[in-house]
Amino acid sequence: MRCHYACGTHESLTRRSFLGGTTAGALSMLGFSGMTQVQAAKKLSTQQKQVVVFWLSGGVSQLETWDPKPGTETGGPFLAIPTSAPGVHISERLPYTAQQMHHLALVRGVNTKENDHGKGNYIMQTGRKKQPGFAFPYLGSTFSSHLAPPDSPLPGYISIGVGGSSTESTFLGPRHAPLVLSGGKAPNNLELPKSMEPERDVLRRKLRHKISQRFEQKRKTAHTEVYNESFDQAAALMARRDIFDFSSFSDKDIERYGKHDFGRHCLMARQLIEKGVTFVKVGHTNYDTHSENFNFHIEQLGEFDKPFATFISDLSDRGLLEHTLIICMCEFGRTPRINSRVGRDHWGTAWSVALGGAGIKGGAVSGKTNETGTKVIDREVNGGHLFHTYYQAVGLDSTEEFYPNGQPIAKADPKAEPIKEILA
Amino acid sequence: MFRTNMRVNVLLLVMFLGNALAEQPLLAESSKISDGPIVAAKPERKSVKPLHKIIDEQIQARYKDDSQYVSALSGDSEFLRRVYLDLTGRIPSITQTREFLEDRRSDKRKILVNQLLESPEYARYISQQLDVMLMRRLKKKYINVNTWEEFLRKSVAENKPLDQIVREIFAADGSNKETQAAARFYLARNGDVNELTRDIGEIFLGADLTCAQCHDHPDVNDWKQDHYYGLSAFLIRSFVFTDKKKKQTVFAEKAEGEVKFESVFEVRDKTSKGPETTLPVVFNGTAISEPAFKKGEEYQVKPAKDVRPIPKYSRRAQLGIAITSPQNRRFARTMSNRLWAMIMGRGLVHPLNADHSDNPPSHPELLDSLTDQMIAHQFDLKWYLRELVLSETYQRSSVNDAFNQKDAKELDESQFTHAIMKPLTPEQFAWAVLQATGFTDIYRKSLKEKLTEETLRKKLVGYEKRFVSLFGGLPGKPVKEFEVTADQILYLSNDGAIQGFVTPRTGNTADRVLKVPADQSEKVAEELYLSVLNRYPDQVETEEVITLLQGKAGTKRSQTVSDVIWALVMSSEFRFNH
Repeated sequence: MRCHYACGTHESLTRRSFLGGTTAGALSMLGFSGMTQVQAAKKLSTQQKQVVVFWLSGGVSQLETWDPKPGTETGGPFLAIPTSAPGVHISERLPYTAQQMHHLALVRGVNTKENDHGKGNYIMQTGRKKQPGFAFPYLGSTFSSHLAPPDSPLPGYISIGVGGSSTESTFLGPRHAPLVLSGGKAPNNLELPKSMEPERDVLRRKLRHKISQRFEQKRKTAHTEVYNESFDQAAALMARRDIFDFSSFSDKDIERYGKHDFGRHCLMARQLIEKGVTFVKVGHTNYDTHSENFNFHIEQLGEFDKPFATFISDLSDRGLLEHTLIICMCEFGRTPRINSRVGRDHWGTAWSVALGGAGIKGGAVSGKTNETGTKVIDREVNGGHLFHTYYQAVGLDSTEEFYPNGQPIAKADPKAEPIKEILA
Repeated sequence: MFRTNMRVNVLLLVMFLGNALAEQPLLAESSKISDGPIVAAKPERKSVKPLHKIIDEQIQARYKDDSQYVSALSGDSEFLRRVYLDLTGRIPSITQTREFLEDRRSDKRKILVNQLLESPEYARYISQQLDVMLMRRLKKKYINVNTWEEFLRKSVAENKPLDQIVREIFAADGSNKETQAAARFYLARNGDVNELTRDIGEIFLGADLTCAQCHDHPDVNDWKQDHYYGLSAFLIRSFVFTDKKKKQTVFAEKAEGEVKFESVFEVRDKTSKGPETTLPVVFNGTAISEPAFKKGEEYQVKPAKDVRPIPKYSRRAQLGIAITSPQNRRFARTMSNRLWAMIMGRGLVHPLNADHSDNPPSHPELLDSLTDQMIAHQFDLKWYLRELVLSETYQRSSVNDAFNQKDAKELDESQFTHAIMKPLTPEQFAWAVLQATGFTDIYRKSLKEKLTEETLRKKLVGYEKRFVSLFGGLPGKPVKEFEVTADQILYLSNDGAIQGFVTPRTGNTADRVLKVPADQSEKVAEELYLSVLNRYPDQVETEEVITLLQGKAGTKRSQTVSDVIWALVMSSEFRFNH
């Protein structure tokens, strides 16, 4: 009996990192051949799509954000307010975001049937349920691999304030693993050693290359090519370390975004998008509010709302929003039932995700929950539908397949389809 | 020592007397023979062909069309560097390099191999390799990692048979102080039955049974759901238990509990017969029957709150015995193949966890021979590694003219016509960098009479860990093949520690080279190449160094020397074991 996409073979597992190596090799080759295809490169650069994910880790409450139920037994104390999108109301905890609602679409019928942090995280970042035997790439790696120009010196996937693991790229290879800006700082060792003049560095690297080339005569060179290329990539990254220079934000911007970590991280994300990085993930924590749910949301959303809204408005003002997809999500929502500690627990059954920017119909709403928010009553979707939607929003065919080990692996769950009503 | 050797001779004799003797009676003989008089062995010994000869015969028999592409035997430099890296995890020092290259004895390679196998560095490095194989760089949990590492290092140092090491690991539940360290295999995995089943299948049986958890393997006909649950059944009754009084976490066991499984496919097809169960069994072996107890009499110590239960019969105690049993050839075969891959750069069965009938070994007869002899030699790790590195197959050069012919297909690595280039492991890379730049020498000198392998490693472990964290992959998912990340290269290019290695400091390579008089640039080139790449520079390389140093004095000269060392250390010639 064949197993379509649910689990990989032994080979897909053991050859994954090998493919990582060769993928990097293949890409480096593309990098060279790309030079001769100037036109193709230009086309890529004008059409290049970018993606920003806001990850509210712990699980933000849909009832205190995108799907408020004021005046019901589950609704909590907050009101719903009108937004810049006619007819769309969101929680009063998001007054700034409400002003940007004409750029955003809401998916209110999410049912991922998963209440575990780790598994929910996996579903939302890979579009699949976790299965033994096969590891799907995370969306940062996926979009880095699909959207970043092959000869780009910039990292394709940068993660700020939310960590990330080099295994996220799985069979797509290390080039698409997240570059994690831990502590909101630039990567280590981007600068030459203090005593090293740039000219001297060029000479030693040239010498390194020469010695390597001599060795590689009459030897199998698939791996050595990757190794050599990586020194050039590192040099390119060092040359573009300006993208990591986060020292020159204006006082006005710092004021607008807020003087806390999340505000600063949003500013960093704005700069990375401006400088052409393909995928940026910005994290905000912690929404796991098993007790004091409302006080926590006042605090957390109070920090989140303004920088998030400012980010969208800045991208729009600068003409970046039309080719940048924005996704605001987390691992699951929170229970409609308010527990004895005035908290809400994990709830993957009926919750919301917000999207905006490239390929998204601003102000659109898909899906509906019942009056108390306990059930999806219209247009139920899961991680698979969302992934089809992300792909199509940036102009990619979500029904295509990966071939990690010569066998087709569907890019998005073939049992699901895109949420067409929110696609522009 | 004498007795052990003799025993092996007798075994070999028995082994080659004919196929009439199957494995089991042969092993049954062994314990008797070791105690009795050993007379017949010596005169017959000559007729016994050493394993390294068998390896070469069987590899060469399969060259066929590729025979025109067979690489020449490696030169002394190539062999020296390779065998040092493979057996001690570091490159040789400049003194060791010169001594070997100048040695005129015809059997100097064999002498060197024996020296390396007896060195304390052998125990350090091989035990580190075993550690990665067994623990996949998992983090500390419950068991002190240092005591675990020491358990492995000691085991390798005293050349404990590999099957015995494995039995000790499976027998340890963490309750006994002396064997506590070995329980890390279970406890670092939190006793998770599925994780343990998958890892045991992969590591010891060459089978990635992941898919067989939910249904018979969809692509591999040999691998059934029964195989997965046959292994799980050994462990299903065990669980992690923390003894609050003793402040100790152990892998405890209950007297009841069966694995229950049904195929998710059958459920979907509505043809399911309902959940099945199985007794503990290793693959297609015989299920291990169990003693029956009257109800209420199953325990030595009955389960109660905060009490660790002890059943009268332990299923888990059977696991190590069943896995390493001579009836289970898969174990000897998988170990032979894994060690072969470690030394030769590729498994005879490849990938290593895909040993099934649709993925036959490149050299089936050879893998059979290796397996037979592994069993006959009672899993003697040192003997096995010695035989591998003494073979011509191992000693071939990585250079091959065919790679240069643009139209020629790349030589198939599974034919072992040339030495396969192996990326240095993180540990090898760290120790090779420290040796090449002369940092090890500084520490060796400073330790003076306190110098032992352990004290030296203590000094250098910080550097080793940095390399492991950057190059080793994530806990549970060590890097298997070659990967490069931006972090690694930025570290190698710009980190202060690396720059510190190549900058002159009393006793290091840069410092030594700078002491060579300025008018002897040829000598400088020689020192540099022998220190870092363990070979003499050729004419072009010598002239390159001379040109680089021409007219440079003081700081300029010192900088140039540092930069050449850096370029050599970062070259692909250094990054790979070739």
